[in-house]
Amino acid sequence: MLSRAARPALRAGAAAAASRPATQNAATFATLREIEDRLKSIRNIEKITNTMKIVASTKLTRAQRAMTESRQYGKTSNTVFEHAETKPIEGEGKKTLIVVASSDKGLCGGIHSGLTKRVRKLLAEKPDSDIVVLGEKSKAQLGRSSGKNIVLSFAGIGKDVPTFADAQAIADQISLLPTDYADIQIVYNKFINAQSYEATPIEAFSEEAIANSPNFAAFEIDDEVLSNLREYALANSLYWALAEGHACEQSARRNAMDNASKNAGDMIGKYQILFNRTRQAVITGELVEIITGAAASEE
Amino acid sequence: MAFAWKASGLTYNKYLSVAARTVRRSLKDDKRLAAERRGDMELRFAKWTNGKQGENKSLADANAASMAEAGSQSSS
Repeated sequence: MLSRAARPALRAGAAAAASRPATQNAATFATLREIEDRLKSIRNIEKITNTMKIVASTKLTRAQRAMTESRQYGKTSNTVFEHAETKPIEGEGKKTLIVVASSDKGLCGGIHSGLTKRVRKLLAEKPDSDIVVLGEKSKAQLGRSSGKNIVLSFAGIGKDVPTFADAQAIADQISLLPTDYADIQIVYNKFINAQSYEATPIEAFSEEAIANSPNFAAFEIDDEVLSNLREYALANSLYWALAEGHACEQSARRNAMDNASKNAGDMIGKYQILFNRTRQAVITGELVEIITGAAASEE
Repeated sequence: MAFAWKASGLTYNKYLSVAARTVRRSLKDDKRLAAERRGDMELRFAKWTNGKQGENKSLADANAASMAEAGSQSSS
């Protein structure tokens, strides 16, 4: 009350000596209001992160189902190459293509930077490799450091669980690239458990590599069908990488949002205590002033 | 073994997706809606030259165009 009455006087620029206690009082009131505002905004942030966490959790179950299915699918598709003992050709002058399976959306911890780091490591080994980026996030990161290596970038990934149609369209566009690549490495986030992921490459082989594999004769494949097999296997691997990457992203987002909500909760607790203490201090101060005033006027 | 679809410029993946679309469309209504969502593809892509990003284009259109081109080349 006292300080509120004192404030207009303060604004009017009363004598410095008279306004000094009032300034102090006003200052504590201002911080009180500041703390309140801060508390409010932190509460809002907590609400947002909490909602995002719930959304990510519901999406995660679907994404994980898609991931287990696609993993099985991709592994089955690669069994052929395991049995044929296909190996990438070790030749000079042939380029490697790196496909980065990231996504468009952020706010999910370090999974995109993990992929980017892994790609940079691969690039350090083979500096002339070309890159195809799926998703805006890694595109921005890789575009800055190694934009010259990028040949294609795709956007619109990560809105929903990736479909096989997505993977097929990407595979088509990749096989239309003018350069003949010795092998294609698809870098994606491997889902280890809900807390950890690892950026891992899967190999997709070129026709030549498939034809040169030691155990190739065991399969009776016509030469003409071989290119179909290659395209199809590329789409399969891409689908696998996209689905598993998507599951990782959702799980990472859930964790990130969980942590953010927890931190916000901690901050709310801290600020609440600070707010209460300051409020009590202000009240005590006012009481002291009133009591001393009353005692002084009695005499 | 020459494939008709190969001669007309389609890739194997395109051939598969056309076949899959046909199967989806022949499903009953309730199942079809769920299945057709799996066939959606709304990606965009851009070609990069010398570290610069090109124009963002719809992937479906570009694929169709390049395949039509391949088809006209092989037939002529």
